[in-house]
Amino acid sequence: MLTSFCILSIMLNDLLQGTDAGGFFIIQDSCRYSARRLLWSFIKAALNREEVVHVLSFEVSEDELKNGLKGSPIERLRFHDAYSDPLGWSGRGAFTVDRFCAESVTALVEPSSPGRRAVLVIDSLSWILRHSGPAAVCRAVRQLRNDGSVVIVGLLHRDLHPRGTVGSLCRSAASVVAVDAGPRGAEAKVTKRLKSGKVLQDEEVFSVDDDLTVVGRSEPSRVRPREPEMDPTAHLTFNLRLSDLEREAKEKLALPFVFTKEKKAALLHTGSGRIVYEPDANDDYDQEDPDDDLDV
Amino acid sequence: MAASVSSACKPSMARIPVNTTSFQKRTKNKLLSIPGTRLSVQNGQLLVSTGVTSLDYLLGGGLAVGTVLLIEEDRYDSYSRMILKYFLAEGVVCRHELFLAAVQDHPNDIFQELPDPILDDVAMHKPVDQPRLSCEPQDSIDAMKIAWRYQNLPKVQNALASTSRFGHYYDVSKTMEPEIRQAAKCHHFYLPEHPSHSSATHSSMLGSYSALLKSIEEVIRRDGFSVATTMTKSRNILRIGLHSLGSPLWDDDLCCQDNPKHSHALTTFLYGLRALMRSSLSVAVVTVPSHLIQSKTLMGSITRLCDNAIALESFKGSERETSPLYKDYHGLLHVRQVPYLNCLASQLPDHKDLAFKLKRKQFTIERLHLPPDLSETVSRVSRGELAGAGAMASACGSGNKHLDF
Repeated sequence: MLTSFCILSIMLNDLLQGTDAGGFFIIQDSCRYSARRLLWSFIKAALNREEVVHVLSFEVSEDELKNGLKGSPIERLRFHDAYSDPLGWSGRGAFTVDRFCAESVTALVEPSSPGRRAVLVIDSLSWILRHSGPAAVCRAVRQLRNDGSVVIVGLLHRDLHPRGTVGSLCRSAASVVAVDAGPRGAEAKVTKRLKSGKVLQDEEVFSVDDDLTVVGRSEPSRVRPREPEMDPTAHLTFNLRLSDLEREAKEKLALPFVFTKEKKAALLHTGSGRIVYEPDANDDYDQEDPDDDLDV
Repeated sequence: MAASVSSACKPSMARIPVNTTSFQKRTKNKLLSIPGTRLSVQNGQLLVSTGVTSLDYLLGGGLAVGTVLLIEEDRYDSYSRMILKYFLAEGVVCRHELFLAAVQDHPNDIFQELPDPILDDVAMHKPVDQPRLSCEPQDSIDAMKIAWRYQNLPKVQNALASTSRFGHYYDVSKTMEPEIRQAAKCHHFYLPEHPSHSSATHSSMLGSYSALLKSIEEVIRRDGFSVATTMTKSRNILRIGLHSLGSPLWDDDLCCQDNPKHSHALTTFLYGLRALMRSSLSVAVVTVPSHLIQSKTLMGSITRLCDNAIALESFKGSERETSPLYKDYHGLLHVRQVPYLNCLASQLPDHKDLAFKLKRKQFTIERLHLPPDLSETVSRVSRGELAGAGAMASACGSGNKHLDF
């Protein structure tokens, strides 16, 4: 959702627009920040794209959801009530927790949009995980992904489960949006796994408006221009720089162990047994002037 | 006279053809000569290549036939899956038989993603530069002015490689041709296709694991990989790849719970697998998502039950990704265990910190060399703050530089 002020990061935007269609993606939230409004903004975006959205709700009643989605085309929304009786105690509930498997989900979703891909939003996966176990959820998701008929968006409360469960469920997901409250606001970390094994990641600070548009806040530190590099030889009490003349003199200085090319080559491949002798300045011995101090 | 002698000699020389000797070495052909294997120079074991030449070097020349290699997966399972694909691709090129078990994707999907082998005989890894024997002016750029005695010494060789080539190189950007792939015999095990037996036979093993073990045993027995069968026809090696054992898709709660109920299921399976491996001409590579397993003792016993164990740690997603120390590499590789087979002590690699990098034509594992301390901020800031220094430098860098006297 583009606003006039800020542009969301590309990955979060893609997910919202549904342009990258993975089979299964998870929104993780914690007790510090609830991602339900973000989930509702996904629903609204999907409804605006004229897709049929099925909502399987364990935690939110139908009225509350419809209240929250005011202003969007709700005709395409199909609500499956698992809120009133999730465990099937009174026998009245439409959907219970243990009914969550691939076949029943397909049966739920298929009649309304035959042939087209439907979007199933599960609020929340934590309920199913608590009662059916991660193995059942992973199996159902895998089968639905292989069928290719449903795109599943699930809300997961990561504080409710052991780390291993959250991790193993996120392994089956194509994209994971991990939301947490940060110093600058709500932060979303988007991780997307491509089929080739490549992993893309992005971080974004966002907020959800009243009309369920997601607004991103650009990071101030990213757009600041880089400071010019400081010259270390400036502002010193002594001179570290070289003028051109000085540089020339430095290049001309004869270093003590600099030999000619032949001698270097001979020294580099030892073993040839040749002795290469270059006469030194000291070899120039003048018999008549041994100390070299006559000014003749 | 000389001409007649030479002409007399010539026909006699022409009459002696090459190789007329009827002498033949009388040795029984005890050594199995199976394509794609070689004998280890250290302990005489029969070795196969894992597909990654640097990994072969780390494991002592290759993977010994009859052993199990455990790969602890990285967080997003990209590089461990890549190594598994290299292993299977090497099997296709060496004409071994393959067995692949997977739960998340169908094994056929993994087979279709195998990398394309580079089949010309040019060694991709350039050998260490020989000392140049002619000081031509072409080395003027490299010529050192003061330290010229060192200019012909070889640079530090980072990549691990042995001198003899064993194993092939693969191009990751292309997938293997279907003709090459279909020439290899592959067995699949995809758990949803196998009806789950209630674990009546093995009480401590889960139904899924016991079905897998039975399937492997059947393939070994039926296709003659067992060592006990008589060596009538030519032998071959069975390469077994098991992807993501321990994940909840195998009905195992090892990764999900802190105190798993089926804590002994995977260890029992690995024990049975190793027994099968020892009694057959096969090699197994097992990947386990160890970052999800919370219990260290359990991970320790899983490691001990496999012969070779390496762990991959990728930098993606961690704060190390932006660290300048690691910018050339994709992750760290830890060698957890190397077996000692028929010898008293194992050959541990002498370099403990290794890093890997996935390039297009090679998966290299190199020794991690830390760069020298050249910049002035590094010498003042401790290593732990180095990652934060990049972010903070722009804020308080100017202040630091003035104070750095």
